[in-house]
Amino acid sequence: MSTDPSPEPTGTTPSGAGNPMLFHHGKTPAWALAAKWILIALALVLCGYIAMRLSDLGYTMWVVLVAFVAMIILAVYGTKRAVPMKYLLPGLILMLGLQIWPIVYTGATAFSNYGQGHLATKEEATAQDIAYSVQQVAGSKPYGLAVAVKDGEPVATGELYFLLTDPAGKNFVGDAKGLTPLTDPGVKVESGSISTAPGYRILNLREANRRSKDLANFAVPTANGGGIKASGISLAFEGRPTLVWDKKADTITDSQTKQVYVARGARWVPKDGQGQPLPVGWKENVGFQNFKTVFTDPTLRTGFVKVFGWNLAFAALSVLTTFILGMLLALLLNDPRIKGRGLYRSLLILPYAIPVFVSALVWQSMFNQEFGLVNNLTHLNVDWFGNTWAARSAVLLTNLWLGFPYMFIVCTGALQSIPDDVMEAARIDGASPLRMLRSIIMPLLLVAVGPLLIASFAFNFNNFGLIQLLTGGGPFNTGNAQIGSTDLLINMAYRLAINGTSPNYGLASAVAIIIFFIVAVISLPGFLRSKALEEVN
Amino acid sequence: MKRSLVVALAGTALVLSGCGGSSSGGGNSSTASSSSGGSGSSSAGSGSSTAAAAPTSVSTDKPQRDANADLVIWADATAAPVVQKLADKFAAKNGIKVAVQIANDVRGQYETAFKAGQAPDVIVGAHDWLGELVANGAVAPLQVPASVESGFTKNAVAATKFNNQTYAVPYGVENLALVRNTALAPTAPKTMDDLIKAGTACVSSKKCTNILSNQVGKQGNAYNAYPFLSAFGGGIFGTKANGDYDPNNLIVDSPNTLKGAALLAQLGKQKVLSTNIDDTNADNLFATGKTPFEITGPWSLPAFQKAGVKYAVDPLPTVAGGGQMVPFLGVQMFYVSAKAKNATIAQQFVTNYVTTKDAQVQLFQVGKRPPALTAAYDEVAKTDPDVAAWNTAGKNGKLMPNIPAMNSVWGPLGQAEADVVSGKAQPDARFKKAATEISAAIKSGK
Repeated sequence: MSTDPSPEPTGTTPSGAGNPMLFHHGKTPAWALAAKWILIALALVLCGYIAMRLSDLGYTMWVVLVAFVAMIILAVYGTKRAVPMKYLLPGLILMLGLQIWPIVYTGATAFSNYGQGHLATKEEATAQDIAYSVQQVAGSKPYGLAVAVKDGEPVATGELYFLLTDPAGKNFVGDAKGLTPLTDPGVKVESGSISTAPGYRILNLREANRRSKDLANFAVPTANGGGIKASGISLAFEGRPTLVWDKKADTITDSQTKQVYVARGARWVPKDGQGQPLPVGWKENVGFQNFKTVFTDPTLRTGFVKVFGWNLAFAALSVLTTFILGMLLALLLNDPRIKGRGLYRSLLILPYAIPVFVSALVWQSMFNQEFGLVNNLTHLNVDWFGNTWAARSAVLLTNLWLGFPYMFIVCTGALQSIPDDVMEAARIDGASPLRMLRSIIMPLLLVAVGPLLIASFAFNFNNFGLIQLLTGGGPFNTGNAQIGSTDLLINMAYRLAINGTSPNYGLASAVAIIIFFIVAVISLPGFLRSKALEEVN
Repeated sequence: MKRSLVVALAGTALVLSGCGGSSSGGGNSSTASSSSGGSGSSSAGSGSSTAAAAPTSVSTDKPQRDANADLVIWADATAAPVVQKLADKFAAKNGIKVAVQIANDVRGQYETAFKAGQAPDVIVGAHDWLGELVANGAVAPLQVPASVESGFTKNAVAATKFNNQTYAVPYGVENLALVRNTALAPTAPKTMDDLIKAGTACVSSKKCTNILSNQVGKQGNAYNAYPFLSAFGGGIFGTKANGDYDPNNLIVDSPNTLKGAALLAQLGKQKVLSTNIDDTNADNLFATGKTPFEITGPWSLPAFQKAGVKYAVDPLPTVAGGGQMVPFLGVQMFYVSAKAKNATIAQQFVTNYVTTKDAQVQLFQVGKRPPALTAAYDEVAKTDPDVAAWNTAGKNGKLMPNIPAMNSVWGPLGQAEADVVSGKAQPDARFKKAATEISAAIKSGK
């Protein structure tokens, strides 16, 4: 701020006076300047490192983006302009990277058929289909191979030659034009492959590997459109792709069976409808197809409604049960007449300290109908994970055990912050304990805990891990292996995307977006209401 | 499991949208997938029970491409130490550096890495991944000379093919068999009735709690259910003229399969099968002597040896009114990535080195599966009696289908099995319903 023309404030200017910047007038100490530039340099080095890694991986678009971010960092922190931005930039970058980008990406995926068998572009997929159709030419024998360059040519860039030995022991040189016999008496053959040939420098495994890309594109042409290709560095085969892609007509023809394939539904299917499509399909835009599927596919639609109903109930009941138990215990242990409260409190927090992975798996084995602790202790014979309602109770019980310590902690904290004088006034006014709970404690408690209850609801709404570990979404009593009785929407989406019949990321993204809107709509009134609660104070 | 960038992102978006604050959405995927019933296969069985200690040379970090290595291989925790030794020999011979990395879920992590352009050069895994890997364009076709191929068993070679193209090199064959506690049941039961008699005697003498241990679980296990269906000539897919499985010929509701379903229902009623026995307790029941029999594969043996149980490996029994129970054959193999950064070394290693007898004998140490190379099998069988027993038990075994349509089968068929075993549903109606569901899923997957 040294360029600021206004004189240094003197005397008794109130600190700030609405502009906190005034406080920083004066020369910036040298160490602060040094620290600032070191930090900027570090941030730029980090950007450079990330850009390097990205360019290694071939993401050029991202390198540009990182460079852009680096420039912004330099512009914002290196100059004296854009003071508010200095505060906002880290948050903005994180928000863009961690919130906006995933949402955009999920949104983009939801409009595509991205999933099993539809991962690559049409060009890549078709190239792969053609590569998969390469068959060894009937009657051809494998050649012994040595990969070589001409003497004096650089190993890394020189033109490649195949030194081939056929099963009869005859030697050839193969290049991009074709085969020529190699009759030089200096040629030596070891275990089926040429080991020395005058005029040629034979590549070792590592050298040949560095030229894998060239080797993949290199074939010694033979008759009938075939080619001799390397398999590793000691064998070569005469192969021929059976598929031919006519880009103009956008058809693929199998030269052996004469089958014609046309592009339909993002893969190559036989034109006459007979036989199997080619294995590799490609990714393409499908518009609102995925959303349409969610709303029109009968099993998915009824399943969605059912799962959504249970999901709401699960989240609401989880919050309610854990909150009531946690609050009651907190009230109980808030009573100063109880001795050893610290010990009890620590014990009650234990379930919270055990990782959910461990406790969910322990509970799972405890609920086993035949060997589990629950049935053995109670002498019941409940099919905990086979009956819809028993499974739902088991899930809620387990979540109660896992969740009440959290409510206990927050309620204990909130109770201790309720001022004693309010309580005392109520007591003097003759309020019964129940009345005090209802009219004093609960309102004050909810002010503090209300937003946490909403957060807890939202968390439980997406409590993927518990369901996955405990029941896996089962039991599947509807006769549909996609829709489980204890499934949450997120578990169902996960099954669609990853675990189910064939992963369908597009459809799962569509489901995720729908869940996003549902949670948003449910949470909104909740947060508005919690604002109303705050006005109690 | 977990498993994919997109879903992790989707999960993140969901968590964020819910202001949940905790990362329960995306992060769990790896744990979750290992307990999944849906993707069940032989690998599901082998993954759960065997966890060999990894030597220091094997990285246990999250698998990630090692930029300095000339060849990167991903394998599960059981296979990795053995593959590392094998790769070290190859590396020393050729003056290169090979990195073998453990992936908890090779299939899932590979597919994720492949999409992100971070795939290893070679993966080691089961043959039923093949159809899916091909559909995603994720594996490279391999050229194996006919002279080399003829050294492998017919089933092992068939497992490496999809649409007449070869994609992998096999090294081990695995299948279910009847493992018997020789102290509790001195003689091998020839028929299911014999088995039930011996098991019931053990239970009524209070020595055991269960007649038989066979993974079913609340969501079923189609892999373990298959032998019951095949005993009457039933199964999952019919075959085309060339012997390939035909995804359009579903036989889950064929009369023969329905006979098997009725057997499942009957055995459930007799408490021979139970939905309360799943992957978490099946091996334990046998290892603690609570049941005289378990239907399982070679991957369970280390647990039994550790527990000190005396066991014998017998063929699966025959069933009344049908023939012998026939297990699925699973073949373990080496795949080369379609986007391998070190394609040449990967091809050289897989097609010219893994195919050798020495390599195959060494790979026997992975889960003690009978080697796929006949010469290696003969050598190993001389010293290890279990190998011949597994091989005998799998003699008539049918290759597990490697077509992508199989993904649509595991969940619905398993659930149908569970419902029938628990008596919740009538076998005929339930299996017909499962067939409808499976065909619909196959159709929508197209």
